[in-house]
Amino acid sequence: MTQVCGQHGLTVPGCTTVMISLAKSMVAAANSHIWLEPMLAGYIGYILADLGSGVYHWGIDNYGDASTPIFGSQIEAFQGHHKWPWTITRRQFANNLHPLARALTFAVLPLDILCHEPTVQGFVDVCSGCIMFSQQFHAWAHGTKSKLPPPVVALQDAGVLVSRSQHGAHHRPPYNNNYCIVSGIWNEFLDEHKVFEALEMVLFFKLGVRPRSWSEPNSDWIEETETHSQVTVH
Amino acid sequence: MATLTLPKHSFSSLLPSQTPRTPSSQSLSIVSKSSQSHFYGLKLSNSSSLPIPSSTPAKTSIVAKVSKGQVPPSFTLKDQDGKTVSLSKFKGKPVVVYFYPADETPGCTKQACAFRDSYEKFKKAGAEVVGISGDDSSSHKAFAKKYRLPFTLLSDEGNKVRKEWGVPSDLFGTLPGRETYVLDKKGVVQLVYNNQFQPEKHIDETLKLLQSL
Repeated sequence: MTQVCGQHGLTVPGCTTVMISLAKSMVAAANSHIWLEPMLAGYIGYILADLGSGVYHWGIDNYGDASTPIFGSQIEAFQGHHKWPWTITRRQFANNLHPLARALTFAVLPLDILCHEPTVQGFVDVCSGCIMFSQQFHAWAHGTKSKLPPPVVALQDAGVLVSRSQHGAHHRPPYNNNYCIVSGIWNEFLDEHKVFEALEMVLFFKLGVRPRSWSEPNSDWIEETETHSQVTVH
Repeated sequence: MATLTLPKHSFSSLLPSQTPRTPSSQSLSIVSKSSQSHFYGLKLSNSSSLPIPSSTPAKTSIVAKVSKGQVPPSFTLKDQDGKTVSLSKFKGKPVVVYFYPADETPGCTKQACAFRDSYEKFKKAGAEVVGISGDDSSSHKAFAKKYRLPFTLLSDEGNKVRKEWGVPSDLFGTLPGRETYVLDKKGVVQLVYNNQFQPEKHIDETLKLLQSL
């Protein structure tokens, strides 16, 4: 699954806006000799990016379909991902990242232009960077240990990036847990406290919509096994 | 229609509610600590949403909460086969009345299946099990058939009985509460157990109580 020009055209600006935000926060921090606050803000951005990835993933996995405005193509892609999870490891970088890069370019560029406060920039650059690269972290979580770069494996094992085992649980019935895909730090809390189940119940009673995870797994969810090899989690 | 609940206690403090719930429990409570639910939230004792201030006089009804030691209001509802069933039918034996949010939702399915799996123990204790939700008889029929539920499911359309018994809602009134009552042979409530997100615990708690009756 090779990347095409359009995907490059979206990924490059996305990366650029995040890098600008990072550079601005570092310059502003150096000029004002404030380092702790921007670093702390960056850490909070990293933590919240994981939460955001989980909420978005939960929504996309459970509601809407290919015809849903704005999100339809993403929903269809996620459904396809559940059916053929290993294919994410065969997509090239821009192919995986371009939808998020497009959204973040629009969101982060105005902040790059208007904001000069190092702490805010610190939060924005780390949060947006983690969100944009979450699909790459996700792809690595589908990789096999032997084929992943050792630093990636080390970061997964350290819990800095979402682990292969944790994300593997999301691809097993009942497909209603482990939604976060940046570090996965929120997964245990959200699952143990049934946060998404509570949200699903509220949406059901208020709007009458049932999430996909409530239904018996059908062919849309169930992974198709390859004939030659299937990505296994080690 | 606005509903006034006479709170037994003030709303001034946020204290964990007790489960099993006793007459001395706080009206405003944090769900998680007391009910051992893992979802932390606020719960109000009113079975409907908060009364909305109105400039015109609203028709009010007073809803009393059913608590341990009380005889709950009787009801007559339709079961999954469309037959009418009254609470009085169960007098002379212990009965477990469990209110649940809706058929075919994850927690309610777990709860129903847990009651099913322990049904022999309830029978051994001489108790009947009755589930009540706002779904209609046909929904109950399908639900009972799908999961082979051996007990009665009653249709409380409009949630009238739920309100009369004062079953509290969860999550600021957005979710119908999950509350179980155990009535003894005389029809007096001996246990009130509330837990939205750990439905299987309802079975453990009720069996524990029944074994001591």
